[in-house]
Amino acid sequence: MEQRKRKTRLQETVHQFRKNKTGMFGVGLLAFIVLLSLSAPILAPHDPYDASLDRRLLPGIWSDESPDGFFLLGTDSQGRDLFSRILYGGRTTLGIGFVALGIALAIGISLGLTAGYFGGYVDDIIMRFVDIMFAFPALLLALVIAGTLGRGIDKAMIAIGITYSPQMVRVVRSGVLMIKEMEYIESQEAIGSSHFRILFRHIMPNSLAPIIVYGTLMLATAILDAAALGFLGVGAQVPSPEWGLTLSASRQYLLTGAWWAATFPGVAILISVISLNLVGDGLRDALDPRLKGGAKL
Amino acid sequence: MSEKLLEVEDLRTYFYTDEGVVKSVDGVSFEIKKGETFGLVGESGCGKSVTALSIMKLIPDPPGKIVSGKIEFEGEDLAKLTEKQMQKIRGNKISMIFQEPMTSLDPVFTIGSELIETIQLHQDLKKDEAYGQSVEMLKLVGIPDPERRMKQYPHELSGGMRQRAMIAMALACRPSMLIADEPTTALDVTIQAQILNLMEGLKEEFNTSVLLITHDLGVVAQYCTNVAVMYAGNIVEYGSVYDIFEEPKHPYTKGLIKSLPSLDKNVERLEILEGNVPSLIDAPKGCRFQPRCDVCTDKCIDSFPDLRYVTESHMVRCHREAGK
Amino acid sequence: MKRYIAKRLAMLIIVLIGVSMITFVLVRMAPGDPAVNLAGQHANEQVLESIREKYHLNDPLYTQYVIWAKMVLQGDLGTSIASHDSVFSEIMDRLPMTLELSIFSMTIAIAVGVLAGIVSAVRQYSKLDYSVMFGALFGVSMPVFWLGIMMIYIFSIKLGLTPVQGRIETGIYINKITGMYILDSILTLNWPAFASSVRHLILPSLALATIPMATIARMTRSSMLEVLRQDYIRTERAKGLSERAVIYKHAIKNALIPVVTVIGMNIGVLMGGAVLTETIFTLPGLGKYIYEAIMAYDYPVVQGFTLFFATAFVLINLATDILYAYIDPRIRYD
Repeated sequence: MEQRKRKTRLQETVHQFRKNKTGMFGVGLLAFIVLLSLSAPILAPHDPYDASLDRRLLPGIWSDESPDGFFLLGTDSQGRDLFSRILYGGRTTLGIGFVALGIALAIGISLGLTAGYFGGYVDDIIMRFVDIMFAFPALLLALVIAGTLGRGIDKAMIAIGITYSPQMVRVVRSGVLMIKEMEYIESQEAIGSSHFRILFRHIMPNSLAPIIVYGTLMLATAILDAAALGFLGVGAQVPSPEWGLTLSASRQYLLTGAWWAATFPGVAILISVISLNLVGDGLRDALDPRLKGGAKL
Repeated sequence: MSEKLLEVEDLRTYFYTDEGVVKSVDGVSFEIKKGETFGLVGESGCGKSVTALSIMKLIPDPPGKIVSGKIEFEGEDLAKLTEKQMQKIRGNKISMIFQEPMTSLDPVFTIGSELIETIQLHQDLKKDEAYGQSVEMLKLVGIPDPERRMKQYPHELSGGMRQRAMIAMALACRPSMLIADEPTTALDVTIQAQILNLMEGLKEEFNTSVLLITHDLGVVAQYCTNVAVMYAGNIVEYGSVYDIFEEPKHPYTKGLIKSLPSLDKNVERLEILEGNVPSLIDAPKGCRFQPRCDVCTDKCIDSFPDLRYVTESHMVRCHREAGK
Repeated sequence: MKRYIAKRLAMLIIVLIGVSMITFVLVRMAPGDPAVNLAGQHANEQVLESIREKYHLNDPLYTQYVIWAKMVLQGDLGTSIASHDSVFSEIMDRLPMTLELSIFSMTIAIAVGVLAGIVSAVRQYSKLDYSVMFGALFGVSMPVFWLGIMMIYIFSIKLGLTPVQGRIETGIYINKITGMYILDSILTLNWPAFASSVRHLILPSLALATIPMATIARMTRSSMLEVLRQDYIRTERAKGLSERAVIYKHAIKNALIPVVTVIGMNIGVLMGGAVLTETIFTLPGLGKYIYEAIMAYDYPVVQGFTLFFATAFVLINLATDILYAYIDPRIRYD
């Protein structure tokens, strides 16, 4: 009898995901954005920090008043090229999001694996701690942490990372609990594999699927929070081209009619987060195979 | 007594899916008389549930559709009725109970409110009258302390109780026909007998005909008057319960009966039917049972057999058997 | 049910203690001399000494915590460096504003979100369904602060329909009973004040409502879809109920139960969003308060505020959980 190779949950999820058109579109969009951000040094027509006061607040190439030298989206209040700032800003905003997620993953995976696998006393303590952390509304917590630790990109990363850790602990733990129930773990224990071996060779690979799914969705909100902190002046600091920071600096100029500086960075945030949500949604649908519009017979 | 209640003629119900057209019910005809219990037997996927749902016109559209056929009930062709007209019939003239009592009752409504809802929907009664009738129904189905149960939620009742409650709801408006789709499959064996006996008793009292759908031949033997055996969307044998059990003609029927464990026989191994049910999307050209049949001929591969009379009451869909 | 509440209340105590500990540690982690952090940059040595006395800053951390906890339990949440007022009274002053904004936003979010989710689910795969889902995707991905800015630009600056900032037109008199202007103006039948406060609140409420609205819509839709697939819906149809009754009486009741949880979760999102919204629209609420305090390094305010808010949030979550347990008969009668 031929034995079918057992696919891990992750492999099955990815397989399902591939069939999802909107999800794949999201992946494409996300890849495009990341590529743009990474290629900023090559693509940006101007130095994002190059200020020139005689070019202040001039529109982009759609208008006659656009300054010479190809300022695609216009200039900001310091005369810097908005397009270049947005390209470079992506690295900052998205970077904060990614690192924050990384921190959340590190904390989440270590605590989640421990809680889920060992159970009992350890599990209780960790989960109580998680419940306490959940008592703080997310943005407020990040704001307070970043505010008290001092301001700056690194503080923002730590603040957001800590804020998202409790959720990640829960995701990892529930993934572990699901796998733990399965019989083949029991058989591993019966053979006498060490805890570490079981954890890393068997439990981890199979718990990866929910981590990746929810991690993607968390990254989406982490980026929103990163921009929010930047907007409030607690994250990135002047003169960083971070998207949220740029928005807050350009806000006042709306009254004078220079709308582009306060619009395009926001659009950049919106598109980035949409792409992540598309991917995350697609992955989540693929993780939980449901009969799409299936009939109940 | 042998008055016709329901006549299904050449019913075809197809499901249009991404993978193709699933022909769940592909030309099914049978007749149910007043006061009888009619058994519809077959394995999972043969189309028996879909047949029942088609009669009630509860097929989800999309992706399903009753493509053709006549469903004559008390003089009307149900297939031609509008949704609004069907709503007057469902729960009122024809009722249906389902397999899983655990999940078939709305968890956020009390048993009482569900019953009262049915009664008030089809009968012009005031709340307290409907309440009284509901309590009566619960008593009739053998639920002790009915007034207390009226206020309870489904999860507070056991599986057997829930099925009784469902029967109460189904029969509250004294329908002429009750469709029971595997009513006891999900229940404990001891409860099964109780429920079936209950249904038998109520059938007598209310003069309701029963369309009993099951895969359990033992149940069929004990409770049914006439039987239709379904396979891959068609009826392959049709007759009285005596015809089917004493003189089975179709190889499939024979196989089913042989594989029943019995206290009389002394066998080493249970007989099994080899093979699997064919795909309902790409049905084979000839007889659909042919790949599993050990007495088939070349004709069986090429041409699709019709349902033919063997005796006055007994029909079979088989080239070999009908030829005799 | 009673057991459930008792268990949750016991948990509550533990969680609140944990919350207070974390809040305490958080502020102590701030760089610099803790006395200066609590008294302000400009405090002279005398003031610093009295602060050190009051909070026992020279004692071990554990002692400090206990002293502080005692003060909190007596209602003293600290004194603002900027205003020298009690943090607690400042919070109370600004609470009605934020409450009003939050209630208004949440109402919009729930009303629109639930409706959109239901309609979307009932007409799955239709153009309406896709538009709602598309809109919800946008809503969930929207940076609130940017949306607020854009709304001000379009509606206030370009179209002149709404005011640019503030809570009510200067010059209009309002009799403060609850502190919530819309409510107060209704109670005193003060229609000019009513009109003005509504005009001021509508844009920020819409901006703030966007993310919760989108999340609720999605959740309601998926919950409805899940419910509509259930066996009992088929049973209800088999009873001869009209499709209307099946959906609006049976399906909705079941589908909305998990939505309650989502609403509870979104209250936290709302709070975070309030900070951003109040800052942009210049509304004198708690969001603006904490923001200004953080920017000014007004640590007593940060500490007191965080504790207040975390506690409020925990209590709201508990209320939501109990509500959920109550409306689901499977949990209520257990």
